[in-house]
This record gives sequence, structure tokens and C-alpha cells, in this order.
Amino acid sequence: MSDYIVEMKHITKRFPGIVANDNVSIGIKKGEIFALLGENGAGKSTLMSMLGGMYEPDEGDIYIRGEKVQISSPNHAAKLNIGMVHQHFKLVSDYTITENIILGVEPVKKLAGIFPYVDIRSANRKIEELSKSFGLEVDPTKKISDLTVSMQQRVEILKVLYREADILIFDEPTAVLTPQEIDFLLGIIEGLRNGGKTIILITHKLEEIKKVADRCAVLNKGKLIDVLDVKETSTRKMAQLMVGREVNLKSDKNPAAFKEEVLKVEHLNVKNEDGFEVVKDVSFTIKSGEIFAIAGVADNGQVEIADAIAGLTKVSGGEILLNGKDITNESIRKRTEAGISYIPEDRQSFGLVLDFDLSTNLALKQYYREPFAKKGILNKEEFEQFGSSLIDKYDIRSGQGIKTQVRSMSGGNQQKTIIGREIELQSSLMIFVQPTRGVDIGAIENIHKMMIKERDQGRAILLVSLELDEIMNVADTIGVIYNGQLQKIASSESLTTNEVGEYMMGAKHE
Amino acid sequence: MSKVKRKNNAKNNLIRPIRDEKWQPVTIPLVAILISFIAAAIVILIIGKNPIQAFYNLLQGAGILPKPSYAGYKSMLTDFLSLLNAMTPLVFASLAVAVAFKAGLFNIGVSGQMLVSGFLATILVGYSGLDAIIAKPLVLVIGMTAGGLMGGLVGWLKYKFNINEVVSTIMLNYIAQYVISFFIQMYYIDPVSRQSQYISEAARLTLVNVEMANLKMDLPLGFILAIFTAVFLKFFMDKTVVGFEIKAVGSSRNAAKYAGMNVGRNTVLAMVISGGLAGLAGVTYYLGYFASIQPKVLSSIGFDSIAVSLLGNSHPIGVIFSSFLVSIIEQGSTYMSSQAGIRQEISSVIVGLILLFSACGAYLKHKVSSLKDKELDQKESES
Repeated sequence: MSDYIVEMKHITKRFPGIVANDNVSIGIKKGEIFALLGENGAGKSTLMSMLGGMYEPDEGDIYIRGEKVQISSPNHAAKLNIGMVHQHFKLVSDYTITENIILGVEPVKKLAGIFPYVDIRSANRKIEELSKSFGLEVDPTKKISDLTVSMQQRVEILKVLYREADILIFDEPTAVLTPQEIDFLLGIIEGLRNGGKTIILITHKLEEIKKVADRCAVLNKGKLIDVLDVKETSTRKMAQLMVGREVNLKSDKNPAAFKEEVLKVEHLNVKNEDGFEVVKDVSFTIKSGEIFAIAGVADNGQVEIADAIAGLTKVSGGEILLNGKDITNESIRKRTEAGISYIPEDRQSFGLVLDFDLSTNLALKQYYREPFAKKGILNKEEFEQFGSSLIDKYDIRSGQGIKTQVRSMSGGNQQKTIIGREIELQSSLMIFVQPTRGVDIGAIENIHKMMIKERDQGRAILLVSLELDEIMNVADTIGVIYNGQLQKIASSESLTTNEVGEYMMGAKHE
Repeated sequence: MSKVKRKNNAKNNLIRPIRDEKWQPVTIPLVAILISFIAAAIVILIIGKNPIQAFYNLLQGAGILPKPSYAGYKSMLTDFLSLLNAMTPLVFASLAVAVAFKAGLFNIGVSGQMLVSGFLATILVGYSGLDAIIAKPLVLVIGMTAGGLMGGLVGWLKYKFNINEVVSTIMLNYIAQYVISFFIQMYYIDPVSRQSQYISEAARLTLVNVEMANLKMDLPLGFILAIFTAVFLKFFMDKTVVGFEIKAVGSSRNAAKYAGMNVGRNTVLAMVISGGLAGLAGVTYYLGYFASIQPKVLSSIGFDSIAVSLLGNSHPIGVIFSSFLVSIIEQGSTYMSSQAGIRQEISSVIVGLILLFSACGAYLKHKVSSLKDKELDQKESES
């Protein structure tokens, strides 16, 4: 019985309209790396949130170290030595690492026995020791704003270690990291386990599980499918269990057939709002029937390139030619009409008007022209017909059909709405920025298929993605960006994942 | 069954009338009004008066219910027409706020825009000897143009220099108030009334003391225009490309830009329309309800209109009803105070309460939907 440090028995948790966890029972052994695998919305995070004290289960019991507990708050969880490393960091950027870590549990000393003050010096020392013993390599006196993303994540880890957690929950920890950083992090996680900690790893990336986890629970639609021994299970099998059907991890695609040049970007320079050059002298071309992917770590200028081509950001130098026509200074609408479709990174604040209904959002780029409007008067019937046909065609699911407020739809269906709308424009160039971020693996497969289908129909496709796997999978040509400059442009067959990773870090120069 | 359950059932019965989401834009303001009248009744009870009688007097004073006796040439009809006369500028002003709000802008400057357009129409037409047939339309055109330009300036400042419209409209209110007060006191003052000189009857948008069927009535011509404007605005916002763009810009500037809309042009345009409506409010107020301008005073209508527009859900037709209600309370308060011995200020308290509770509409909505969810849960666990 008590060889489990954490036991969750018959846990059920409902939210309005859905059952997030349905009679789930798992047991986690002390000192193992236990992975939770599942698509988005499978209920992984909900299950762990109950362990972290964010929610309480509707039914079922939780046992920690053999004792039945009701975890009522994150503070309570901390008392039980449970710590959670969140996907989105919760750090104060103007504070030092130490200040962030001790926030809420500040060591207080009294000056002259009366005046209380925070004992930063001893905290610094303690954090340094902690950092060394787990190989985290951070300088406790540095400010958060000076740190890279992966460093910030280490601070989050230190935060839970400082609170003496010995059960650590990692919620999708690798989503924001480069391949090299991921390797480093997985090393740290293994180190923590060897130091006697129990690790729970929430992820939907199979190769990470394969690399470090001992056992793995697969969730699908709130139900526990199976608990597997990782060493004895193939990745393929895990993927199948996770999705509930056969999946193609590698997209099938015909060899590319490049035709005429569609997009030509020459010596492009873009400045950000503060006047810093974020895109420096970037040149590339995309041909009809080609998927050109820009690989890179976040915030290296790739989104600005996409924005500049679509017209959302002003260009400070260089030229953009679409089908031989200079569009460098055209308005967004003129570009759309000239043949650009754009699936933006931030789908909620750019891609959709969340308070409008589905049919309106599907017509968001065509509302002003016939047949949607005649002489400035809108034709609602046309909106509805168009909306209904797209809902069927792209399998967009929503509560009240075309009348559904887009805000209430799931992320995956919001993305389908945007992609469907943009494909319908029949543009010669399609820009996809992070098209699969936050959507589940079934939908990812579907989006990749759509991209390849559009390519085969002769469109030029620009893909900007932080997921290296995605790029290796669908791209015909890869451009690697680092610090606003394209380091390398080559066909995808001629590059390995590791090489791309090195270019992404700016490590490899020709 | 358990106590909790019974309590929940009671709660569910209570919210039944406002459960239907389709009708919530109507039912929730009604519930807010109901709650505020209950609260007002408690206030009146506390000061030792009869609330039912007070509300009755309020309606009598506004010309909705007959008074026991009338002075010569007066009747319930004349009272009702005075109500419409007072209501006209409020409808325009609230529409001005509503349009700006749809575009995601907060027009606090309705009072200033009213004053500028009222003043310009007064000196350009009100003091001229033009015939009624030319003067009246001209007053409307000047009002709309002046207000529209002033609103447009605010929109342009926002678009060009990213100056928050709340700040710029408040500052423009002060500028309008003091500059115009200077001109009135220097050139147009009536030494007896200490206001600007009265305008000619020909320019006035309300026909005063029209004798008909042995009654002397005030006919507010602007009222008809106000109703037409509201209906047109509804059509404009729902059915036209321009209205669609304004709403899109108001909902999400980023998405509107992404979709290829000209965000700057739509921002300026929305403020021109809003200012134009405020201008109409100004001329129907200073050249209709009144016939002169009191220096150094901003009309409170400009500020009331923010709340009235909120109560009407920023919906053009809703605004007509909410203006009607607020005007009844303000018009009826004189009679209420003389009959029931309740101070006139209590009517302001009632208006304040209504607006306070109407601002809680979002909370009510949230509460209703969470109760509905709970009920669903209950049903699920039973089955």
C-alpha cells in the first residue's frame, strides 16, 4: 500500500458542460519520474491542479504518503511538500532571483532585536547552495529581466525546491525551450530524481517521456487509458493510446514541385516600437508549391518578418515583392486582395473579433465586398450561408452553430475558424505563424495535412514555428533565424534537427 | 430533501424571469430598475413618507398619470409634451455616448460638444432675423457640424498622438466652458437674466405655448428627429459596412487592423458621429428646451447621458426607453416634492440608484449563468 508516495483514487472533476477527470486512479512511487501524457483537454493539468491545491475533486480521495488529505490551497500543497513548476512563469521581472524565490516566505531577522528586516544575505547563500547541488547554475543576485527563458524556468524550479518540495510537478516544461535547452532541463529533472525527489511530468511530447520517464499514465478525454512502463512501450503505441487511434507522426507528403516565384523578400529591415532593429537584412524567396519554414527561438525577429509581409508592421528598409509586384508600402487590405492569407500567432487578439459570432468572423476579410455587401449595406443571409458551408467544410465545432460567440469556442476550433477563413481567400501566399501552438495532436496532424494540401495546389507557404519537429516534418526549405538574421537557408533534407538547433542558437556560422 | 436544495430551488424561481439569454438585454435592466425602486422606496420610508404616493406623484408630474387639478391652459397632455421636450436632448446625448462606446471610445465630452454647438447656433442663427423655415434646419446643420468637428478632433488626437479620449474630452469641456462664458459675458449677456440674450422664436426648435384646443403646449420638433435618428442608428450599426467596421474596431483594434480595416479612419469617424449627435443634443437643449445659455455652466445632461446609455445597453432603441424613464423621474420631481413633501433631491437619489444598479447588470448576468450551471450539475448528479 504505502510504496506509493502519491495516490489519487477514483478522482472525478466536473466543469460546467464537461467532465475533466472521470474516475481516474493513479499511484506514484517515491523517487520516480512519472509522466502524464495526453492531448490538450485530456485532463492532465486538471488532475495535477488538484494535487497542487488549485481545485478540489468532486469525488474521490487523495493520499499523500499513505495519509488521506484534502488539499485546499497551493499553500496547503506546499506544506505537504508538493511544488508545481508552471508552464507560464510567475516571476517579478524587476526583482532578483533570490527576491523572487523568497517572496512570501521571506526569512526575517530583527535589527537590534526590534526592527524586522529581510535577511537577503543568508537567502542568497542558501539559494546558491541549492542551485549548485542540483546543477542549476544560476546567480541568485541577477535580475529576472536579464535572464533567458530557460534560466527563468530554473528559477521556478528553485522556487519549489526552496520551499522544500519533494514532489515536483512540471507542467509542459519544454514548450518554450530549444532542443539544447530541453536536453539540459531533462538532465536536471533526472538529477532531481537521483537526489530522491519524486517528479511528475505533464507533457504531450513523446520523445521526452521516452528519454527520462520511468512510468507514464495516458489520459484521453478525462479518462485514464493505461499506465505504461516506458522502457517496454514504443512511442507509436503511446501516441496511439493518447489519441485513441492510429496517428501519423510523420506527415505523408509528395515530393515538392516548385513552380514560379511568388514571394521575394529583399534586404528586409524592420524596427520594433523602441526603434531597435529586430529584422536585419533578410532576403529569401518562396516559390509556388513550396513550404518555406523559418526556424528559430522565440523573439528572434521571425514574427516581425511575417507581420512585415502581411503589412501589420512597417518596413524600415528593403523590398517585398508578391508575384513580381512591389507591395512594400501597400495597405493591409491591398495585400490581402493581392493574394496574402495570414494565420497570425496571436489568434485571440489579432485573428478573431472574440465578441462577434462565428459567421461574422469567417467573413472577416470579405465582409465589405460582394456578395457580402452591396453599396455599403450588409447582406446577413450571405454571411450565414457562407458560414454554414465553412463549418461543414472545416469541421468547426461550436455550441450554437454560426451564431456562437467565438470567445466561447475552444482554442482548436478558433484556429480552424481562422485557417478555414484564410484558405477560402485562395491567396497565392499563405503565412502560418505558430499554427499548431496550443492545439492537440489530432488537430496538429490535420493542420499539417491542410498546409501540404494547399502547397500541392500550388500555393506558396511561409511557416513560422518554434516547434522544430513541425518544421522538420512539413517544410521543403528551412531558413534559420538568429538575432534578426537568417543564418542559413537550405532544403530540409540537407539539414538535421541538431544542425538547425545549433544555427538557432547562433552557434554555427558559415 | 435537503435544505440547501430547497434554498437553491427558491433561488431558481427568483431568477426564472431573467434566465433566457436572448431577452437578457431587456430583462436585466428591468430587474435593475425594479431593485432600485425598492431601494428608493426604503429611502423614502426612512424619511417617513409613503413611497407609493411619492412614485404616483412622480408619474403625475411627468404627465403619465392625471393630476387632480390643472392650472389654466394646462392638462396631462401639456405635461407629457414638456416631458418629451426635456427628454429630446437626453436621447441625442445618450446616442452620442452609445456610438462612441461601440467604437471602444468613452466620450465624456458630450457637455462641451453640446455647449460649443449650442453657442455657435445661437450667435449664427439665433440672433439673426432668418425665417423659421431656413433658421430651424440651419440650427440643426450648424449643431451637427460643430459637434462633429469637435468630436473628430478628439478622434484625430487619439489616432495621431494616442491621446486618451477621456483626458482630451474633459480638457476640451473646460476650454469650451470658459471660452464661451467669456464671449457670452462680453457680448451677448442679458443684464436681467444674467444669461445670454434670448434667441428668436424662428430659430427655436421647440414651438412654445402653441394654442390648440384651449391648451397652451410646447411642441418639441427635435423629438421626432431624435426617434428617427435612433432608428437610423440601429440600422447603421447593424446593417452597414461602416457600422460593422466601427463595431469591429471597438471590439478589437488589433483584429480590425489585421482584417484590413482602417482603424484610424474608423476611430475619427465614430467620434465625428458621436460629436454630431452631441451637437444635436446641444441645439435641442440650448435652442429648444431653453432659449439661452447660462455662462460658466456645463449641462449635466452630458454626464447623465453616460449612465443613461449604460442603462440602455448602448443600444439605440434601448437608449430611447432609458432616457424616457430618467426624464420621467427628473420631470416629475417638482410635483412630487410639492405634493408629498419630499425634497426634490430625492429624485436625483432615485436616478442615482437606478444607474448604480444598472451598472451591476454584468454581475447579475454572471450570477444567473452560474446558478444555471449549478442546476445543470444537480440534474446530472441526480440522473
